[in-house]
Amino acid sequence: MTDELMVDAELLRAEVRQKYKEVAVDPHGDFHFHTGRPLAARLGYDDPVVGALPDVAVESFAGIANPFSLAPLVPGERVVDIGSGAGFDSFIAAGLVGETGAVVGIDMTSEMLDKSRSTAADLGLSHVEFREGLAESLPVPDGWADVVITNGVLNLCADKQAAFDEVMRVLRPGGRLQMADIANGNEVPEEAVRDIDLWTA
Amino acid sequence: MMRQTGFVDIDVGPAVDVFGGAGGEANARTFAVFGYAFIAHKLG
Repeated sequence: MTDELMVDAELLRAEVRQKYKEVAVDPHGDFHFHTGRPLAARLGYDDPVVGALPDVAVESFAGIANPFSLAPLVPGERVVDIGSGAGFDSFIAAGLVGETGAVVGIDMTSEMLDKSRSTAADLGLSHVEFREGLAESLPVPDGWADVVITNGVLNLCADKQAAFDEVMRVLRPGGRLQMADIANGNEVPEEAVRDIDLWTA
Repeated sequence: MMRQTGFVDIDVGPAVDVFGGAGGEANARTFAVFGYAFIAHKLG
């Protein structure tokens, strides 16, 4: 645990849960970020791969970049998706690793978990499962994962060091993190960093 | 922070204008916020 966090972790989680509950139940609502198929196209996801997924698997996607763009996933790999949301990146990973692999999506928002689990069942994907959990305490055994993916999630964690420590714990030796997230080129004033409302606005 | 955690062979992809045309564009422009893909490895 980091000695001093800039915001209250539990208050921030409550804000994030509320925001992404809205994205789960009203994916075409008015958000400060793009969502769904237009966002996937903007981020350079493979059109045929996205096109093969049903709307319910794509409409609540709210990622930041394409975590598959710097290295491929290969058949048989075991993948953890931190902040899996409605499952978009998990379903893409499932297609890449195939039935000899496995994907575990982890999310803290119950409406997202309901949606991802329902879609996985509809798609008949037996090698994908979704677990409730936090980035800072992943419900995954030590060294289980070949790859950890995450997309637009760690920037919303108050204790980023704890989240990176968890990624390191669940990866096998030689495993890799494929992360998509934001970075700012201009310094954000401390008073703004400490304003929880700005984290999800 | 990734290096502090012990990750090696870290690479970063090109910047993506993820908020362009969205409601958050003004804030993103103010702080030069872009999306990036990262890859990092745990020592074998």
